[in-house]
Amino acid sequence: MRRMLVVLIVAAALAGTAVAQPKVMSLPELGIVPGTAGGTLTLSLGSAPPSFFYYGQIDNAVQALTAQTFDPLLEFNLANYELEPALAASWSVSDDGLVYTLNLREGVTWHDGVPFTADDVVFTFEQVITNPETRAGDSAQFTYTVDGEPRQVTFEAVDEHTVVFTLPAPSAAFLLNLRAFYMMPKHKLESIAAAGGDAINGAWPTTGPLTDVVGTGPFMYDNYVAGQLVSLKRNPNYWKVDEAGTSLPYVENLEYLVVGGTEAQTAQFLAGNIDALNISGAQFPNFKEQELAGGGFTVVVNEALFGSPPHLAFNFDDPTLGAAFSRTDFRRAIEYAVDRHRVIDDVYNGLATLPGTPTAPANGAFYEDTTGLMHMFDLETAASELDALGYVDSDGDGIRNLPDGGPNLEFALTYASDSQVFTDIATIIQNDFAQIGVKADLQAVLNSALLGTGLAGEYQAIIVALGNQPDPELRKPIWQPGGSLYYWHRSTQPQTEGGPVNFDAMEDWERRIYEIFDTGTVNVDAEARAAAYREWQVLNAENVPVIMIAKPSNIAAVYDRVGNFVYNLGVIPGYNPVPLYFVD
Amino acid sequence: MLVYTLRRLLAFPATLLLVSVICFAIIQLAPGSFTDRYLEDPRMSPASVARIRGQLGLDKPMHEQYFMWIKGIVTRGDFGHAFGANRPVTTVIGERLWWTIVVAGITMLFAWLIAVPLGIFTALRRNGVTDALASFIGYVGLAIPDFLIALLLVALVLQTGGTNVGGLFSPRYIAAPWSWDKLVDFLNHMWIPILAIGTNSIAGVMRQMRANLLDVLNADYVRTARSKGISERRVINRHAVRNAINPLVSLAGISLPELINGTIIASIVLNLPTIGPLLYDSLVNKDQYVAMALLLLSSLLLIVGNLLADLALAWVDPRIRYG
Repeated sequence: MRRMLVVLIVAAALAGTAVAQPKVMSLPELGIVPGTAGGTLTLSLGSAPPSFFYYGQIDNAVQALTAQTFDPLLEFNLANYELEPALAASWSVSDDGLVYTLNLREGVTWHDGVPFTADDVVFTFEQVITNPETRAGDSAQFTYTVDGEPRQVTFEAVDEHTVVFTLPAPSAAFLLNLRAFYMMPKHKLESIAAAGGDAINGAWPTTGPLTDVVGTGPFMYDNYVAGQLVSLKRNPNYWKVDEAGTSLPYVENLEYLVVGGTEAQTAQFLAGNIDALNISGAQFPNFKEQELAGGGFTVVVNEALFGSPPHLAFNFDDPTLGAAFSRTDFRRAIEYAVDRHRVIDDVYNGLATLPGTPTAPANGAFYEDTTGLMHMFDLETAASELDALGYVDSDGDGIRNLPDGGPNLEFALTYASDSQVFTDIATIIQNDFAQIGVKADLQAVLNSALLGTGLAGEYQAIIVALGNQPDPELRKPIWQPGGSLYYWHRSTQPQTEGGPVNFDAMEDWERRIYEIFDTGTVNVDAEARAAAYREWQVLNAENVPVIMIAKPSNIAAVYDRVGNFVYNLGVIPGYNPVPLYFVD
Repeated sequence: MLVYTLRRLLAFPATLLLVSVICFAIIQLAPGSFTDRYLEDPRMSPASVARIRGQLGLDKPMHEQYFMWIKGIVTRGDFGHAFGANRPVTTVIGERLWWTIVVAGITMLFAWLIAVPLGIFTALRRNGVTDALASFIGYVGLAIPDFLIALLLVALVLQTGGTNVGGLFSPRYIAAPWSWDKLVDFLNHMWIPILAIGTNSIAGVMRQMRANLLDVLNADYVRTARSKGISERRVINRHAVRNAINPLVSLAGISLPELINGTIIASIVLNLPTIGPLLYDSLVNKDQYVAMALLLLSSLLLIVGNLLADLALAWVDPRIRYG
């Protein structure tokens, strides 16, 4: 009797320490239902992964794989993008906003059974993320400039399940930034990090043993056939459960076929070799037709937060036409000649909306509706505005000139030729501009070279698409004047390496935007911060540093056998609905 | 013969060196560099990009990068570092080399197995209906680009409800060990590349064979053979064809670089793990050492192919001797 009591007490104690803190995934607003366990789900990668180490290179394939095999400290709520616990079960911030204390989830283990502890977190941040040698680390994110001096965030493991981050200055988006980093195992990477130098980037090569690549994520590596297939299998000890308490993920095997190119991916999807595929608005009619003819799959459309809206930018510093391009009144007049609705209808087949300036309309926390301030398509008004500003055809060749007999308003319009969307948009713009006497000559570059061309200033007008993020601060290098990606007004960028931003080159509204971003970094009052960013969007709409064109919707085609499908780009850290998918 | 061969072999290094210099210069002329792709990612600061450039050696002057690369090849057999794959170029190329040889080899074999008999046939039935038909089909195959044929075949397969659309294997056989079923699956996937890539060369080889055979059939020794009373079939097979096929040996040698270049676009469209897409990607992304190594390989195949063709010609035809 006594022995039985002892056994019962011991059993109870052990049960209590098993999976101590599972996270319950409950998302009725997305239509998530309890699923059936087992089966194989097949998705696609656009290219073969160069290695399995997320921080060794910036590559879409390894990002997609890491999203399934590793976890960050915090993650997004799949419905409303609010920050939720992931590997960190709870956290607290000190009153001065300098000390963040994160309590880690207990009972989490790496795929090889070793427990996940605060040492792993500190190792990841100190030896990997802020290591200047890792190619896809982000040490700049954790270096703050205080009184002109660079100061580092410090990381400390207080005990096995508590990590303390101490910041040199308050940062409003610090937790949001933390969400972007996957935690790495110290016991597997310690030695290669200690080797120093460039060696860390060679961690976990594709030719090495897959048993070395351990994470805490819903799936673990099972097999890799070079250049063709990556097989993942279910992690039986994953820390997420569904509402009924069933351990996630549901599927037993997750396979990634390496299929390069849109045509090949479409063919594999239609043949049934891939279960779900993200497609574009241009492919929508074809897929929808097949769906309605009984293809066995459904085309899913939803509004996008991530994903890149194209915009038209003019080079403020262009030697010939910069005098026109840098003037707000010129850009506002030319905005009348950009036919956004035609792009939405003809290029995206209606599956796009008017853009934000530039925050995505789906971004509930920060979006400001500036469509009322935008100049909508009206060629007559465009022509009369340009006339009023003095851009008339003074030499009678059919093309407008700059005021006072200046050069022709003729310029190169650079676009990505290997993207059907960009090509169509460029052609529409060229045609419409021609009707008001503005001559745009199409200049093709490859998509991969597009941003580089912009950053080098080797363009006059250019069509580029830069992504949206849930918090404008994450896009600061693009939208803050003088930022490293503020490519349309490069004279505001520091004129010497590491030097100060060039305020003299800024317009008044650019100085105001600069202030907004500066204070947005440190302002911990969420409402004031959001109000400031809304003011920024209004300033953008009124002064059009770039002319935003459209915000494409997110479209995916998914076979009916897949349940609980939620659209995702696949590579956004902290947004992974795949553990909830199930197959019939 | 031996002296001739040795003389040709000695010219190898000089030719390859010249080719490498020209290729390197042209690749460097294109604006931008491999690190451009990092600039858009929010994780990258200009300082990180500068550090990566240093790690990859991209901040050194052009000629220094070139000499370091050549030195690596000559002293260590190290063809440089693949930026995208983050490992030595030799492993990146080696991974795909086997499948490239298999795919290109099978398609070339198929093309020749059809073209040569067809060439003989149309030479014998000159100006007949079959001649016109065969020529027409051959020219149509030559005129339509290989990727278009590939896409049309893929569409055809999808229409008939097939699943063997691109790639070398069905998903369930990719990781499976070799078996009879896997071989059947492989052949099931191979017929699209064979048709798409092979039809390009059929017309050329067929017409060449036809022309050669027509020349030979008018020769004196063929007339003599016939007058000796040998059956027409033996005249054709034992005497005419064997002589007519000689120039085709040269053609085969020159076609060796087609192993890489001939299959690029069709491989991209059909998602085959061969060297062609690797060359295209490396040129687009400015993964310079991979591109250089592949261009050198292509040149090497051309030179070797030419040499082998010339030697084979001399071996087959006793009338040909090199000084």
